[in-house]
Amino acid sequence: MSGLSGNRRRAGRQTAALAAFLLVQSLAAVFFISDALTDLIEGFITPHLIIEGLVAVALAAGLVFGTVALRRTIEQMNAQAAALQAARGALAEVIEAQFADWGLTPAERDVAMLALKGLDVAEIASLRSAAQGTVRAQLSRVYTKAGVTGRAQFAAHFVEDLLAEGVPGQ
Amino acid sequence: MTSGRETSGTTPPDLWDPVVRISHWGLAAVVLLNAVLTKGGSLIHVWIGWVGLTLLALRLVWGLFGPAEARFSAFPPNPRAAIGHLRDLVARRPRPYRSHNPAGALMVYLLWALLAVVIGTGVAMTGTTPLGAVERQVAIESADWSTLDLGESDREGRKALEEVHEVAANLILFLVFLHVAGVLVEGRLMRRNLVRPMLTGDRRDTSTRKGRPV
Repeated sequence: MSGLSGNRRRAGRQTAALAAFLLVQSLAAVFFISDALTDLIEGFITPHLIIEGLVAVALAAGLVFGTVALRRTIEQMNAQAAALQAARGALAEVIEAQFADWGLTPAERDVAMLALKGLDVAEIASLRSAAQGTVRAQLSRVYTKAGVTGRAQFAAHFVEDLLAEGVPGQ
Repeated sequence: MTSGRETSGTTPPDLWDPVVRISHWGLAAVVLLNAVLTKGGSLIHVWIGWVGLTLLALRLVWGLFGPAEARFSAFPPNPRAAIGHLRDLVARRPRPYRSHNPAGALMVYLLWALLAVVIGTGVAMTGTTPLGAVERQVAIESADWSTLDLGESDREGRKALEEVHEVAANLILFLVFLHVAGVLVEGRLMRRNLVRPMLTGDRRDTSTRKGRPV
């Protein structure tokens, strides 16, 4: 999960850089367009003005294209975030259903979920304000009900689901 | 089947896109610099004004071609809805909106319009290109007043422009004050930080715990 949010951060930096570039482009466009307009008002149609006008038009067009491109990038990022959210929701549903299937008690479900998220016994105990021995006992009951030998196999059970069927829920 | 879809559409973004953020803080800096720090008519004042024109233009283009929540269609000016929102606020039952709330939207359009007035009158007084201000400065420094000499009617018109420029600028400062007050009050009533999405966002990432090897 840290890899995915790292991806998002990187994408955020990329769009920020694109936006900064867009700003520089706008500065250039405003400068050139105002300059060309001023010459036009003063009424000198010269080759210089024509070229200046072309540059102004190109800059303005580039600005619009840059805007649209940046919009697309941002929308793509948002769509990815939404898909990730949906996948997370779907995975949570799969896990809940499996827990119910194994007949875990509410307390065991909580502990099992925290264990799946990568917390160790001490952390789970302090989160649930329970003794470490209690958590350890609950975890071993979870492993027994799930028919696995330990935490690695327990986590692998759900990863295997994901790998076999792809990400459900789209 | 898909839960967790409620993230898009009904609430404002956790993080405004970079163009919205750049133009927001850029224009805030432009207003602050030119209202408080620089001398009216000075070269730096004029150039900062041109930067303001650029930021405003970029934001307006973004309002047409940008992503959904930054587009004008996401926050149409609607005074009645704005009053309705303020009433909701007083009743402590503010509804969430996907973009600016109606009162905020009205503020945005008012500020843009006033900025356009200030920039327009500024450009009318100093020339339609940033280089005009440089030429004027050079003329003043070389004590060549011939290009700066204004006729009687010109002087009248200039006075009026100056008047409008200053009144609109003061209105902007007043609205900025209202805007900041509104953000503080609404943020407190809704118990959500409205400033962070305009700065760095990053609200969601901190709520998911880092996975770690088993």
